[in-house]
Amino acid sequence: MKVESVGILTGWGRGVEALPSDASVAAAGRAVLPLARPSLNGERFRRATRECLLGVEAVNVMLAEGGIDHDEIRGDRTALLFVTVGAYGPSNVGFIGTRSGTLHFPYTAPSALSGEVAIEFGLTGAYVILIGGAPATIDALWQAGLLLAQGRCDRALVLVVEVFEDCEALWRRARWTVPAPLVETAACALLTRSEAPPVYRAMSGEPSALEPDVEARAGRTLAAAPLVALALARAAGEPRARLTGSWRGRRASIELVVGQAARL
Amino acid sequence: MSGAAPLRPEPIAALAAGVVTPLGPDLDAFWSGLLGGGGALTAIERFRTDDLRVGCGGEIKKIPAAASGIRSRAAALLVAAAADLRTRASLDAAPERIGVVAGTALGGVEELEHALDGDSTAGRARDALYDAPAHALADWLGARGPVVTVSAACASGATALGVGADLLRQDVADLVVAGGYDILCRFVLRGFDALRSLTRERVRPFDRRRSGLLLGEAAGLVLLARERDVRGPRLGRLLGHGSASDASHVAAPDPHGRGLHSAIMAALAAADVAPADIDFVSAHGTGTPLNDRIESTVLRRALGPRADAIPVNSIKGALGHTMGAAAALEAIMCWLAAREGFIPPTTGFEEPDPACPLDYVPGTCRVARPRLMLSTSLGFGGCNAALVLEAV
Repeated sequence: MKVESVGILTGWGRGVEALPSDASVAAAGRAVLPLARPSLNGERFRRATRECLLGVEAVNVMLAEGGIDHDEIRGDRTALLFVTVGAYGPSNVGFIGTRSGTLHFPYTAPSALSGEVAIEFGLTGAYVILIGGAPATIDALWQAGLLLAQGRCDRALVLVVEVFEDCEALWRRARWTVPAPLVETAACALLTRSEAPPVYRAMSGEPSALEPDVEARAGRTLAAAPLVALALARAAGEPRARLTGSWRGRRASIELVVGQAARL
Repeated sequence: MSGAAPLRPEPIAALAAGVVTPLGPDLDAFWSGLLGGGGALTAIERFRTDDLRVGCGGEIKKIPAAASGIRSRAAALLVAAAADLRTRASLDAAPERIGVVAGTALGGVEELEHALDGDSTAGRARDALYDAPAHALADWLGARGPVVTVSAACASGATALGVGADLLRQDVADLVVAGGYDILCRFVLRGFDALRSLTRERVRPFDRRRSGLLLGEAAGLVLLARERDVRGPRLGRLLGHGSASDASHVAAPDPHGRGLHSAIMAALAAADVAPADIDFVSAHGTGTPLNDRIESTVLRRALGPRADAIPVNSIKGALGHTMGAAAALEAIMCWLAAREGFIPPTTGFEEPDPACPLDYVPGTCRVARPRLMLSTSLGFGGCNAALVLEAV
């Protein structure tokens, strides 16, 4: 499996170039670094949630980073794997509160976000949605590798969206804002088949060198951390990268071919 | 880029199952309830429904003792199903080689309701995340392998079984407890009520008079292992799974069922099974006018000329649409049907609909011993999933 392109948007800006050298210092006491609502054209997006738009924008950024046309990923040979810890939070809290109408309920499902992305880009291939932190993203990368190896798809998108601003009080209460900051992130990687299979370990005790680097530079991006690590590895020109991440006591790892960043 | 030839994956054995459903606290009650053709759809008692159009559903009136004291109802249902499972099979593997894969549409959302309604503890906020119940299950089981939560809406249970099979085929685990769960709570009942998806009448999958679904709560778990590692009895085999996105609408199925068709064909290809070899279909069959018509059309297209001769049932008329649990329960039902030699009827189906022209097992259970079975699922967000199952 090979990485064709990676796009990341964080509360710091677009791409790894926007990441500070020390997120905790740059946050200046802020617990959450939010992402702005993307301004996407089209009547279809008028009622879409911020998280859905961030998912679409992450794919747009990934395509732009790789110089890839939208039509190249359209169709049933592209798998979509979406991961989040809590991107459904704002819609769930909203539905419990004031936004309780017919239009709002379907958007409480995590699959609404990936569904909007699938509609926007015409993705009709294999479809997996995982909930969890960084290990879930590593699981998704592994699943993408399986789908590619088994010939079930020709390319796979691994998409992660994490938003915290709307539910900051709950994240604080759960003590997941420590250490700060939590940094909202929308990230997408495009993967294709190659001769080199990924090396996946569902239970891996040791963090990679990239894992602390991601947290130091980006802050806490939860499920998005492996894709931020991937973007950092590509920016550094690494031929392969070992991605690790932990959540709720589990650390997983995957090693894969990074590919060349088109714009660097 | 061209696709490589599909590899025939190794069969995965289902060693045993455990459930908790509105039909009763365990697998025996589930099976006898399905065979009886009755139902467990009653007035909801656990929370207020007086402000909703519909206040009925498949509610579990009493949580089994094994799960008493567990605060999160979602976690409690998972533990109750796991306790039932453990009466039929032991987890004979090193703890770090036992994985858990749970499918859910709602996760711990009722915990979120409590967290926003005065409970300001850290634990309640943590339990509000959708992956919390799966971790609670792993803790209860003593499983220390990978814990995975799949949330493909009402197709979650099928994808969870598929991911569990993948963990085994890739030698990531030696045993996997996989399945699905979801609870009835105000959040989801208000949602479906707002969508006008709930019927005020009887749930009638594929019937001409069908007017909507009723929700249910349940958990269904299967203990999976690699076929080559199994020495003792099995419940059945999981041969293949497939998924696909509709890319059509967030809240409605593709009008032509293209995603469902793709998922079915992917599952059949993965299992290396021809459509003509399928003996029985457990359909999603929600009882909504749109779903059942689309699903019937897709099944006819996917199964080919033999489609009219293949029994197709839906168990949602008996226990409601149990969302993340549905596909897991339906897979278990398929294996039980094959083992016991009876296909449960489609409870509520009485008057055929020309738009749904298949054999829906009306009335009473059918004496049959299917060998190869197909189970289909759909969900919000354009989720579609299918499983190919085999009798032992």
